[in-house]
Amino acid sequence: MSVDLRDVGVSLDGQRVLHAISASLTEPRIGIVGRNGSGKSTLARVIAGLIEPDQGQARIGGQDMARDRRAALAAVGIIFQNPDHQIIFPTVIEEIAFGLTQQGLGRDEAQNAARAILARFGKAHWEAAATYALSQGQKQLLCLMTVLAMRPRTIVMDEPFSGLDIPTRMQIARHLSCIDAQLVLITHDPEQVRGFDRILWLDGGRLVADGPPDAVLPAFRQRMEDWGNGDDLAHLAG
Amino acid sequence: MEHNMTRIALFAALIAALGLIPSLTLAFGVPITAQSMGVMLAGAVLGAKRGALAVLLFMALVALGLPLLAGGRGGLGAFVAPTSGFFLGWPVAAFVTGLIVERWRKGPLALTVAMASIIGGIVVMYGFGIVGMSIALDKTLAECALLVTAFIPGDLIKAVLTGLIVQALARSRPAALLSRG
Amino acid sequence: MISLTSPVETWAHRLPAGIKLAALSGLTVTLFLTDRPGALGAALLAVFGLYLSGGPVFLRQGLRHLRMLWPFLLLIALWHGATGQWQAGLVIALRLLTALALANVVTMTSRLTDMIAVLTCLLAPLRGMGLQTRAVELAIAMVLRFTPMLTENGRRLAMSWRARSPRRPSWRIVMPMVALALDDADHVAEALRARGGILNDRDAGKD
Repeated sequence: MSVDLRDVGVSLDGQRVLHAISASLTEPRIGIVGRNGSGKSTLARVIAGLIEPDQGQARIGGQDMARDRRAALAAVGIIFQNPDHQIIFPTVIEEIAFGLTQQGLGRDEAQNAARAILARFGKAHWEAAATYALSQGQKQLLCLMTVLAMRPRTIVMDEPFSGLDIPTRMQIARHLSCIDAQLVLITHDPEQVRGFDRILWLDGGRLVADGPPDAVLPAFRQRMEDWGNGDDLAHLAG
Repeated sequence: MEHNMTRIALFAALIAALGLIPSLTLAFGVPITAQSMGVMLAGAVLGAKRGALAVLLFMALVALGLPLLAGGRGGLGAFVAPTSGFFLGWPVAAFVTGLIVERWRKGPLALTVAMASIIGGIVVMYGFGIVGMSIALDKTLAECALLVTAFIPGDLIKAVLTGLIVQALARSRPAALLSRG
Repeated sequence: MISLTSPVETWAHRLPAGIKLAALSGLTVTLFLTDRPGALGAALLAVFGLYLSGGPVFLRQGLRHLRMLWPFLLLIALWHGATGQWQAGLVIALRLLTALALANVVTMTSRLTDMIAVLTCLLAPLRGMGLQTRAVELAIAMVLRFTPMLTENGRRLAMSWRARSPRRPSWRIVMPMVALALDDADHVAEALRARGGILNDRDAGKD
């Protein structure tokens, strides 16, 4: 399974957000790093098929995720930065079962599969819990279980650790490390992708580096620190 | 498609939330519940059709037994009380408010929305409310109209505030104003 | 979210919600068609009996839901006391009490999931007219999910107001509440699309 990006360009509200991104991602663990506004969240949505690029092509396993949403459900799952923007249903079981019924499972099958994933994570007792009452870390884990239940071959995560405390982050990271699916993790923090197979560095909507962590992350960190010592917050866009 | 549906659902939830937060103050320090303002806002922001659907969705949840009306009331009782006419008039009120905002594009937005809210949220809604009261209390329409006049000044203020809120919203999120989309 | 269904399990909880709703509709219409104080009084006694059969806690809950009527009952008493039309006043008061108590009894004895099932059933004929009942079910679930969150948004904004002002929060917090709700709607639409959108039987997921 591979994510193929060919000359991907995206404009949002008349602003060019991504410029000619090309990469063929076959490694099991991919990190995409960049600053706020570098276009990495947009790229995450392009990979998941939620934004159709206005230039070039984005495919997974040869299929266009934006055009063929049915194929997309089996191929790719996405976890957003803020779980409150992702959780749609009032109870945990409904939230997990929803994606499964969308994939064509019957109501009972979907419920059973949802229970199975809860049991796998040792959270069988969450079944009837109100999603609203979960803690931030619990909500993030629920989003992960929701996506895993649908068994996508690629999972895109957009800053999944922001706002989580250290123990919660470690627990979620541990859950992630045992996932079979290909993982594409978007982050501004080089620490989170240190052990990964390949790192893409985005800046100003362009791919500025692409390679193994040892080759990309030290330069990325150095550049971030240089910028941190300056004052580019003073510039207003537009 | 998904966008329309989530906006309708989130607005129905917003109408509920406006009834559940502690009451706010009006211009002169008078506490109000902002829920009926939510009906005017639904029409003015989402437009006639989506606004009315958001209100209908909210009403369906009340009918299903959720205590979403201001003060924690709800259930089927909300449809047979003496004041139920007002409640039943909500979707029409939102529709009319939205229709006026959609069609009347001249002049300042705040003024248009305030006028639309007066026509939809007061004239239409009171029309329904007075008929409902007249049935429940077995009084003439004129007698019932007299009984509810005390509430009109408060609702007039809400209509004006709805205008100001929608104008501020249009400035901060121009794309959010679907009634003018 | 907590519904108004009574936690006190009565025999009426076990009746199908559809039958209760049909009975309620029929009886409410009948209440408004009759003008005989005797018949209305008997109806009120019968409804009172229904509440009694649920036990004292159930009865107390039921009575609490009727409290909203007192201004109207007072108004009727004053009005008809002044005009001397006692019998007409009694008819109106009995009818108001019976209709509201009867509606409340159905709400108190029907679970949310059962009521949603009845609603879906009632909406099914509209499918022919293009109504997507699946979208309605989804929308109901979303309102249940997001009402506490939007209420919390309102409380937070009110708190941030109070942190900077000695006065009670004003209507001004409504604008950011609306803006946040609309932003959330866009995010949730995206999340919904990521999991296949509204319909099962649709191929393209484009808006």
